[in-house]
Amino acid sequence: MTPDLPTATGDWRLVGRTARLVLGVPRYALLAVVAALVGLTLFVYTLNVGLINALVLGGSLPVENRLGILVNLYPVVSPTAYTAAETGILLAVAALIGVNVALVAYHLVEHATLRGGTGSAAGVVLGTLGAGCAACGSTVLAGLLSLFGATGLLTLLPLDGLEFALLSLGVLLLSLYWLADGMRGGMIRGCPVDP
Amino acid sequence: MRRRALLGAVGTGVAGLTGCLGGGGGSSSGQSDHPAARNLAAQPALGDPDDAEDLLVAFEDPSCPTCRRFETETFPRIRDELVDPGDAAFVYRVFPVVYDWGKPAVQAMEATYDRDEAAFWALKAHYYAEQSAFGTDNVLDRTEAFLADETEVDAAGVVEDARAETYDDAVQQDLTDGEDADVSATPTVALFSGGEFRTLVTGAQSYDVYANALGV
Repeated sequence: MTPDLPTATGDWRLVGRTARLVLGVPRYALLAVVAALVGLTLFVYTLNVGLINALVLGGSLPVENRLGILVNLYPVVSPTAYTAAETGILLAVAALIGVNVALVAYHLVEHATLRGGTGSAAGVVLGTLGAGCAACGSTVLAGLLSLFGATGLLTLLPLDGLEFALLSLGVLLLSLYWLADGMRGGMIRGCPVDP
Repeated sequence: MRRRALLGAVGTGVAGLTGCLGGGGGSSSGQSDHPAARNLAAQPALGDPDDAEDLLVAFEDPSCPTCRRFETETFPRIRDELVDPGDAAFVYRVFPVVYDWGKPAVQAMEATYDRDEAAFWALKAHYYAEQSAFGTDNVLDRTEAFLADETEVDAAGVVEDARAETYDDAVQQDLTDGEDADVSATPTVALFSGGEFRTLVTGAQSYDVYANALGV
């Protein structure tokens, strides 16, 4: 099973239409939001493992202090901790994780028989891998961001480590395409997927 | 050279401590045992590290962009709201690991601190304020010009000492203590409260993270 690569604007229109149809179902929209928050939380946690373990999950601080620490570790909430580029890319990665998970879940629940054939099966597999890789990428990014300032390695990278976040974005976009491609020819909420 | 003279006064043993410091975790070790708090009397400090309830020991690199964000956006509130009222002390330790110009810069910082503490804080602020203008080719020339124009220290003497790495023992001590404390990125701030180690905070975290971590 060799997946196609998106080469035309129509391929991206297919992705947009598929995502719009799936996210139009409230429970999948909610799932996407939850998955995006989980992805972002995974990033925040991997970047601050010691601090969170010591003072948020452990230690003896009052609950309001624990929450105060945790909330202020998130991008947007704490603009000092991340550059604008880091914040933008991290939010994009989180959002794409959410959409990927929603599409995978929709595919598995609503198309349980994978009636779309091998393209559909490939979409589920690659979509799941895509979300997984993005989570993995977030972890790699977290490690690199935490090292940013501590190693000469990143000074060799023109974007100071954001390259790995961009890689995650690329993987997520590809997996979205493969998922949508797998749903081609099917129906979502009574609407044909093909644009 | 008061700092070098004090470098031999290494804090008490750290055996058995490392295991509870991994990744900045752990909160049960004492300040006197912690590598980040070694040689405190020899370090540039705001507030009194011996008397303040809370202590922040920051490992920073003047060439580090993240340290610049910490310096310009978080440090002023730490100074104004924790240190100035007398609740906390802030200690600066060098950890030059980012861009190459940070290495001669910290040599100059140590040489400046040994001559005049106020000039040290001014030089530190200058490095962060003008960070993008520095490189390995100009750092010591610009340092000399700044010190000559804005401070009373012997600017030429500082630069001569920086070139000769006269204060390299102090730099190496900071690097060793930072590494022993599991510092792997800059800025990393070791937090102590009531004489107990709380955690390491890495990155340009907001003031609210520090305030909540110290329970204030």
